[in-house]
Amino acid sequence: MSFFSLFNKKEKSAGVAKDRLRIAISSDRNNTSYPFMAEMKADIIEVVRKYIQAQSVHITRESDGDVDTLGIEIIIPK
Amino acid sequence: MGIVYAIISGKGGVGKTTTTANIGIGIAQEGKKVVLVDFDLGQRNLDLILGLENRVIYDMVHVMDDEAGLKQALIKSKHTENLFLLAASQTKDKSALVQEKVKKLIDTLKEEYDYVILDAPAGIESGFEHTIMYADATIVVVNPEVSSIRDADKAIGIVDAKSERAKENKKVKKFLVINRINPSMVSNGEMLASADILDILSIDLLGKIPEDKGIVEASNSGKPIILNENSQAGAAYKRIAKRLCGENIPFEDVESFVSPSIITKIKSLFQ
Repeated sequence: MSFFSLFNKKEKSAGVAKDRLRIAISSDRNNTSYPFMAEMKADIIEVVRKYIQAQSVHITRESDGDVDTLGIEIIIPK
Repeated sequence: MGIVYAIISGKGGVGKTTTTANIGIGIAQEGKKVVLVDFDLGQRNLDLILGLENRVIYDMVHVMDDEAGLKQALIKSKHTENLFLLAASQTKDKSALVQEKVKKLIDTLKEEYDYVILDAPAGIESGFEHTIMYADATIVVVNPEVSSIRDADKAIGIVDAKSERAKENKKVKKFLVINRINPSMVSNGEMLASADILDILSIDLLGKIPEDKGIVEASNSGKPIILNENSQAGAAYKRIAKRLCGENIPFEDVESFVSPSIITKIKSLFQ
């Protein structure tokens, strides 16, 4: 170890890896909608259309601690 | 009734097939009846790792399509009693898999074997989904490396969303095998430590396998490393097998680097 390296200590790459992975995985987990999201959307539209003319359906998935919540927004034309 | 394990990784090349072969032998050595099924259709390799490539006549697709009986297609291990292999098809691809046929095959195997171990293909496509669909538990193999861990997390997510047990609101147990640990790199902070990986993936640890040159030699000769009494990786696989058989084996520290003493170094000069 040279004299200067004492002052210019490089951050350990394992620590960097851990931090980067944490962020990447938490964003993967949040962003990934369920694999069956498209099918579910189509089914919901079909059910709603029995009663009212739905224009589109937006589903959002949010994580809150131990539970995931699904927000379903149905757009109806005026 | 046997238990069905799917061995998954997400990313390819992390040692999934090697792990399947070694765990299979290890459990069979504990006196249990084990069948290994290679689900990597079109890229069959488990036969090669087990040294059984010359004995494959019928494969799992033949069995599922009733072109061969299960007894005809099962290949007995050369190395171990109680261990059988059902090879993947080399000519047909994953489109040959049909849900009901896969279920029927696994149900039949469960009746006769204590452990049914499915070697999943890499990736998270349909072949992977067929493999995890009827699994009671999964064994996730990772390397201490960012892309492997991220892909594993993705694969775990699919198990939780799509497997039959998950759909019935039952838990699918997941166990982690960390493969190719380089102790000196971990000690120097140049490689993710097992504690960090467990923390990120938040699943249970099943075992840690140190990097071992013997693994390449073992696959060269079709004799899995667990059969090598002097190998550290082999010993680690043995411990995993015992844990899967219900034994309480404490986790060994494979991550601390012990530099060879000066005497061993001098000795090695004369060898």
